[in-house]
Amino acid sequence: VLTVADGPLVLVADDDADIRDLVEFKLAQAGYTVKAVGDGLSAWEAFEAARPELVVLDVMMPGLSGIDVLRKIRESDAAEVPVLLLSAKSRDSDVDTGFAVGATDYVVKPFSPRELMHRVNAILARAR
Amino acid sequence: LTARTLLYLTPAVVLAACLAMVVLIVATKVARTRRERRTAALVAPYRIDLLAVSAGEDDDGSHRARLVGADGPSREALDGTMTTLLGKVRGAPADHLAEVLHAHGAIDRAMEELEHRSSVRRARAAHLLGLCHIHRALSGLAAALGDPTPEVRASAAHALGLIGNPAVARRVLDAVGTSRPIPAGAAADALEGMGTGISEALLDALHDPSPTVRTVAAQVSGEGSFTRSTPRLRELLTHDPDLTVREAVAGALAHLGRAEDVEVLARHTGNEQPTPLRRTCVTALGELGEPSAAPHLVALLDDTDPRLAELAATALLCLGALGREALGDRQGSAAETARVLAQLQRGERSPA
Repeated sequence: VLTVADGPLVLVADDDADIRDLVEFKLAQAGYTVKAVGDGLSAWEAFEAARPELVVLDVMMPGLSGIDVLRKIRESDAAEVPVLLLSAKSRDSDVDTGFAVGATDYVVKPFSPRELMHRVNAILARAR
Repeated sequence: LTARTLLYLTPAVVLAACLAMVVLIVATKVARTRRERRTAALVAPYRIDLLAVSAGEDDDGSHRARLVGADGPSREALDGTMTTLLGKVRGAPADHLAEVLHAHGAIDRAMEELEHRSSVRRARAAHLLGLCHIHRALSGLAAALGDPTPEVRASAAHALGLIGNPAVARRVLDAVGTSRPIPAGAAADALEGMGTGISEALLDALHDPSPTVRTVAAQVSGEGSFTRSTPRLRELLTHDPDLTVREAVAGALAHLGRAEDVEVLARHTGNEQPTPLRRTCVTALGELGEPSAAPHLVALLDDTDPRLAELAATALLCLGALGREALGDRQGSAAETARVLAQLQRGERSPA
């Protein structure tokens, strides 16, 4: 699904349709252009094809996990693209793993959509 | 039946059973898909309202009003979808979803369904009451901790953790030591959700006759840094008759102990102690991070238990520069294994 607006392109990958739609809706309301996909492989393909300015990745997805996709992004020639992990995995070791692989930020589900937007805005402001 | 007839009949019976199983699986999947499609169709006209409320984009309350106004089968389908969404968002959007569910009468129904004859309905009711933080459900949920069905007990514990009222902390702790227990992990998670107000209940539970209750109380004391429990934990490490409790206590002291606990833990690394306890205490000495633990750990590097020697070397590395210096260029498999592990953790060495 591609929601077109004037803002920067954000790729959202989550196998949970509720979360995917919610994040897409929230980002679109804030003026971002959003590409939303439902699994890890589609996320990697969309990343290669569209080169978004930010990626919001679920960790547990069918096929490639969010960590796998993040690892591939960090090994690609667009390794500097910020990646925010949005995950139900909340243990310290899960968060450690996310940052160790190269996440820019980590948000635990259940999450506050408002807080997510603050983080997205801050990451993109820093990246520019 | 003769043996020959049985020989012919058995494969036929097995084949029939397999076919019946396949038909059952397909029928269940078809029924589920139909139900999901029907729910999606009923919810579709309200999808934008659901997204706006869940995303916190409903400042004037118009989307909530449309959701509240839904009736008939749509209302029932919406309630299920909103309950699912409630578990995924927090903050004002979660409060707004709970408001709509309240307006639909879903909370009152859940209060009644805590005593429904269907265990699925009881578990769902407990789940919803927890998600919506319904404080008037506390006594009903506490009673559900003794439900005959394990799933209902676990759901009630989870709900009490979500509500986060420490008044029921002792009930949750008691529930791990009964003949119909709740899982220790579920109890620990629920207690962590209740904040700092549970310190009295934890202290009390550390005197409980049930070793399971004492174990959970020790673990939560450590993870939540409840320092009021420390004196009792020191007593239990030495005197508790149950080894699992003593191991949990050693782990807890690693989190909340002080410099004086080095001696307390070190006393239990002697080879007259049970092996699991010795190993836990050695790890705890490293996690405690007190420099005074170094001599005790160095003395264990040549222990006859090779695993304990490795843990001692790893614990020394946890003590920072002083621990590394104490380990020095000491030879031996324990020290070398610890060094390799540390290099791997720091990314200075690849697993290959």
